Amino acid sequence: MSVLVSALLLLLACAGAGVVFTRSPRRQVMAMAVNGLVLAVLFMVLQAPDVAFAEIAVGAVAVPLLFLVVLASMRMDRAPRDADRL
Amino acid sequence: MNPKWRLAVFLLACLVVAPGVVGLALHMPRFGAPVLALGDAINAQGTAQRHVSNMVSAVNFDYRGFDTLGEEFMLLCAVTGTVVLLRGARGEALDARPGIVPGRPILPRSEAVTLVARVFAPLIILFGVYVAAHAMTTPGGGFQGGVIVASGLLLVFLGDGYQTWRALVKSRVLDACEGGGAALYALCGFAGMCLRLPFLSNVLPLGTAKEVFSGGLMLLENLGVTLAVGGGFSLIFLEFLEETRARKPDEPK
Repeated sequence: MSVLVSALLLLLACAGAGVVFTRSPRRQVMAMAVNGLVLAVLFMVLQAPDVAFAEIAVGAVAVPLLFLVVLASMRMDRAPRDADRL
Repeated sequence: MNPKWRLAVFLLACLVVAPGVVGLALHMPRFGAPVLALGDAINAQGTAQRHVSNMVSAVNFDYRGFDTLGEEFMLLCAVTGTVVLLRGARGEALDARPGIVPGRPILPRSEAVTLVARVFAPLIILFGVYVAAHAMTTPGGGFQGGVIVASGLLLVFLGDGYQTWRALVKSRVLDACEGGGAALYALCGFAGMCLRLPFLSNVLPLGTAKEVFSGGLMLLENLGVTLAVGGGFSLIFLEFLEETRARKPDEPK
């Protein structure tokens, strides 16, 4: 296992922990996008460019966008006093 | 169940599962060790058999083309479900007002964002088409290319706003792409059956390896997947972003 792969695996663990330990949903979405990005780089290094392409487009663009829209939509429908909890 | 009990159950479950996990971890193949003989076999013979150099495409569209058909219809079902749930509620009108979130002002878009989005949107869409078109020669393919095109279209929304984006991205066109792409893939399968060959047989001339138009029927299947994935993802984005518009006065809560 090369130094690059080990470093990326460590980075991935950090990014994953970042997703779990971020409490605010909006920041968590961004943490998830970063996690997807790191995962895509790891796939690239492990010589799986096809999966890296899919991961970068789905994990770093599509899924975070859908989550952001859902969060915005929920905040729109809530009464003002509930809004600051999200 | 209070937290103390929950912790106890968790630790008990850990005790039960731990021996299995440790045992599996000790018997895993070495990191990077080749485990599947099938992959090596396809790498060795794929180019000679199917005249393509991207073996992932050869597996997706030919050797295991039937699996991709299932995947295609799974996507179709997911997109249809999303559309059925979300269509017709809010944001249908092109001039629908943006929704108001209490305590968060709607800021005007910065010109830098518009500039970056306008420069990169065409480039990203072009790159998506390139990735999809070169499925047989280089990494990538219909799925990847379709998703890249869909995210490039999203930049129009970021740079020029909801109205311009909705005027450009027509939901009827996306419907046709999604359904037509999936249908094209299925019809490719029947082409072989018309010639008394098994479903999804590669009936077209295979062409020369390492050229863009090689691989025979795989090219058509790839086109179908590109249309279905690009249309499907754009349609999901469209339906979701409609939900960011203001509620209509007559809409039930």
